[in-house]
Amino acid sequence: MTERIVVLELARLEAAHLTDLVEQFAELLADSTVADPAVARLVPDAYRDDAEAAAEFRSVTQGDLLERRVADTRTVRDTLLVDGARLAVTAIDESSATDVLTLPLDEGQAAAWLRTLAALRLVLAARLGITEDDDHDDGDPRFGVYDWLGFRLDGLLRALDD
Amino acid sequence: MTLPLVERDVAELTQREQPWQTVVWNDPVNLMSYVTHVFREYFGFSKARAERLMLAVHHEGHAVVAEGPREQMELHVQAMHDYGLWATVRRGEQ
Repeated sequence: MTERIVVLELARLEAAHLTDLVEQFAELLADSTVADPAVARLVPDAYRDDAEAAAEFRSVTQGDLLERRVADTRTVRDTLLVDGARLAVTAIDESSATDVLTLPLDEGQAAAWLRTLAALRLVLAARLGITEDDDHDDGDPRFGVYDWLGFRLDGLLRALDD
Repeated sequence: MTLPLVERDVAELTQREQPWQTVVWNDPVNLMSYVTHVFREYFGFSKARAERLMLAVHHEGHAVVAEGPREQMELHVQAMHDYGLWATVRRGEQ
């Protein structure tokens, strides 16, 4: 086992929500089709002005890229297990919601976390129609999730940078 | 010395001076701190260089992060896609 390089702290409720999101992401990848803009964003055109070259590149790389995403979701999900059990949002009551979980991550796990948090934001952005820097609807709770993922991603990057 | 030979040398030289490029494009989703991290981790750039490139992507809409043979640029682009960055391959400008 490789040495842990960072220790993440998450509230139990956050960890449960993230577990849920990561599982939804895994489901999306399982029946992935590039007709879905959220999946297409994970395997974008590698050639801007050459559709044929872009299609050929995608046919060669798409399988590996999406498989890696699936492997990342498994890694993240496993690090979120508490005593080997999956955290369910519905099983968390008011008193335990803010309990802090400490998750030690090794290098590979930290990398999977970074890629997955970034990918979840890309998927949500596709669903929310975010195409400009200022696209934000404060009244839509999904933007809260999007911002929270960014907050956690930024925090993990800072912790790794220390 | 014959003219065809000279012409071929010039042609080879021109080809060598026009490598392919890996271009990273701005998007409204990826965090500036994440893009900097990717440039440092994958390309091994210094923090200062990675931040300069990240800011170029952010403010100018794109930045050339590598130049070289097409196959190598395609590997870089796949790596950028693996991180979730939007990158493309293009022929170097004259």
